[in-house]
Amino acid sequence: MKRSLAFLTVVAAASLALTSCSGGGAGGESKDGAKSELTFWHGYTEADGKVLNKIVDDFNASQSEVSIKVQTNPWSVIDDTLLPALSSGKGPDIVAMPAERLPVYADKGAFVQLDDFYKNPSSNLDKLIPAAADMETVNGHKYGVPSGFVPLAMFYNKTLFAKAGITAPPTTWDEWIAAAKRLTVDENNDGTPEQFGLGLPDHATVANGVWPSLFYGNGGNVVKDGKAVVDSPENAQTLKTWVDAIRNEKISPAGLDGIAGDKLFSSGKAAMYLGGPWMSSIATENKIDYGIAAVPAGPKDQAASAIGISMGITTQKDEAKAAAAQKFFAYFLQKEQATAWSLGSGWPPLRSDIPASDVAANPVVEALTKQSEFGRPLLPGVVNSTDVLTAVDKLTQRAVAGENIQDLLKETQASVQKIVDAK
Amino acid sequence: MSTIMHKKTTAAPKYRAPAPLGGRRNPAIGQRRKNIQALAFLIPALLVLGAFTAWPMISALRLSFTDASGFGKEKWVGFENYARIFTDPVILNAVVNTALYALLFTPMAVALALVLALLLNDPRLPFRGFFRTALFLPFIISLAVAAIAWSYLIDPQVGLLNYWLGNAGIRIGNVLQDPVLAMPAVAFVAVWKSFGFYMVIFLAGLQEIPGSLYEAAKVDGAGPLMRFRHVTMPMLSNTTAFVLIFALIAALQAFDQIYVMTGGGPYGHTETVVMQIYKSGFQKLDVGFASALSYVLLAATLLLSVVQFVFFGKREREGD
Repeated sequence: MKRSLAFLTVVAAASLALTSCSGGGAGGESKDGAKSELTFWHGYTEADGKVLNKIVDDFNASQSEVSIKVQTNPWSVIDDTLLPALSSGKGPDIVAMPAERLPVYADKGAFVQLDDFYKNPSSNLDKLIPAAADMETVNGHKYGVPSGFVPLAMFYNKTLFAKAGITAPPTTWDEWIAAAKRLTVDENNDGTPEQFGLGLPDHATVANGVWPSLFYGNGGNVVKDGKAVVDSPENAQTLKTWVDAIRNEKISPAGLDGIAGDKLFSSGKAAMYLGGPWMSSIATENKIDYGIAAVPAGPKDQAASAIGISMGITTQKDEAKAAAAQKFFAYFLQKEQATAWSLGSGWPPLRSDIPASDVAANPVVEALTKQSEFGRPLLPGVVNSTDVLTAVDKLTQRAVAGENIQDLLKETQASVQKIVDAK
Repeated sequence: MSTIMHKKTTAAPKYRAPAPLGGRRNPAIGQRRKNIQALAFLIPALLVLGAFTAWPMISALRLSFTDASGFGKEKWVGFENYARIFTDPVILNAVVNTALYALLFTPMAVALALVLALLLNDPRLPFRGFFRTALFLPFIISLAVAAIAWSYLIDPQVGLLNYWLGNAGIRIGNVLQDPVLAMPAVAFVAVWKSFGFYMVIFLAGLQEIPGSLYEAAKVDGAGPLMRFRHVTMPMLSNTTAFVLIFALIAALQAFDQIYVMTGGGPYGHTETVVMQIYKSGFQKLDVGFASALSYVLLAATLLLSVVQFVFFGKREREGD
């Protein structure tokens, strides 16, 4: 009985106790002349983490006023422990998190506002990709600096393409669906293909960017200027096209989620898949000979939702620490560091003045950089973006399950408007 | 605290304190020393309970009347959070789902546990020890591990269970993504996971029943069904009440296994109240609302437990 009640609070208290042991226990109070000691939480656990930690070390060595201590936690751990850590005053000074999580924290006053930092010419922000900067805007103010911005790209299985006699990746929706049909194989004619042309998840993908990308392609959107715009003829047409392809042509399994979709592609059972840079390592590990192409253009536009990571400065500490953290951001965004970071992390450069040729040493980064222009931040500045994306998830799942598209759009429009109005 | 304990020790009539060593002493002083000793042994446990149970409970109650986000300023909002619970369709959906889950899980788990306990209590059954261990085993496995294992077993693409059933001509499809089948599926896994625990409690209860009662019933001409109805069930009513309450509480708290298996999907069909508490608190930073929801869940759990307790308490008195 007591357990049920205390579930949340006990978890909170326990993690509070844990973080107080491991968190910013360094206790570097910044006094005049003394070093500012900052803690930095991030979830880059692979090769990208090593590069980021090296950039931090280089920064620490480059000057004597600021010293940053890195603590690596998986993203899900950061999401679960940041709140108890902040509420106990033991949180990090700098924290990186999935970009769609930033508005929630910013709106509750957890992050230092960075408008002046963005205006300052020495911040190295003038060359930042504008769409990436949009990701950091909440209620008209900037609250973070991006450490990653990448549009969803199409990964395709070259072996399966060759087997089906397709020589080039599709570039338009018509070509895309035609290729997917040819790549869908039902060997024993039992109605369930053994090989799918495309893995098109209808819910729970990373940042839920797959269907918004399709909506953009046909000139549709989800939220625009603080208004729900889900219920549009464009979106209705988009849903009809893709639901038809999934339900009738069976180009993708229905009810697929992001994790199952990754598995489908990495096991060679899907010829095409939308994903981010991590798909290259997943594909390589599973010995899939893959190629990278842009998400094929829709009838109206070529666009792809972008996945992002934001870094914010928590408001729990003094001004000196906030200034020290900004110093690090400026360093991080210098051309040299930004290039090294991009090459090491596998994400395209955050600066528009770093061309694809500068990152040719990593062919994945080079390929993704060429697509940066198609990237659109997902629901920038929408505080309750989690709820909006849940509503969109519900829409696409029910549409793929065969419910009436017009009714669904009407219902989703109402619920999204309600969510947007709540803030 | 010490007065409560004092009452307890003197109230227990069967317990007689051993004679103190070292001759005559003032018995009141000895009693007081014992109380102090007992308290000293209890202090570590009390401190842990106080810090991790009592204090969070009290502070959650306070938070439930505020718009707290966990940090920064908080505003007193009175009963606003509680009012929101009863008007928010997402929360009401979670309440309906939790009730449905409890209705599926509780009777299935308890009935299965009782039937298997009766079987395993029969001395004629060979390999009883092996079966008891084997059936209890799922309870020991970590919830997340069991959830992941089952998700793989029933995966439409790689699932072994789907493969076997497919060979037998049965297609179950993508069960966890089916709005109708998802809830029964997660409830089934929960039953598989936990009935062993309830079974062991039933077994203990069965072994408490004196064999003479059955012999007397036999002499009176009662068949196996009559013996079950008139001897076993009344004698087990305390155990049954405990198991039912325990299972119901477990059902109302359903979270981790469902979270791992479906994440609340497909589109909210397996979303439970505790999942909403987690989402409101940790994802939306709406700690005040999450606390209010916790208290409503506590009240509901208490109410249902009291109803069950009274019902079975009455049956037991009638049985006597």
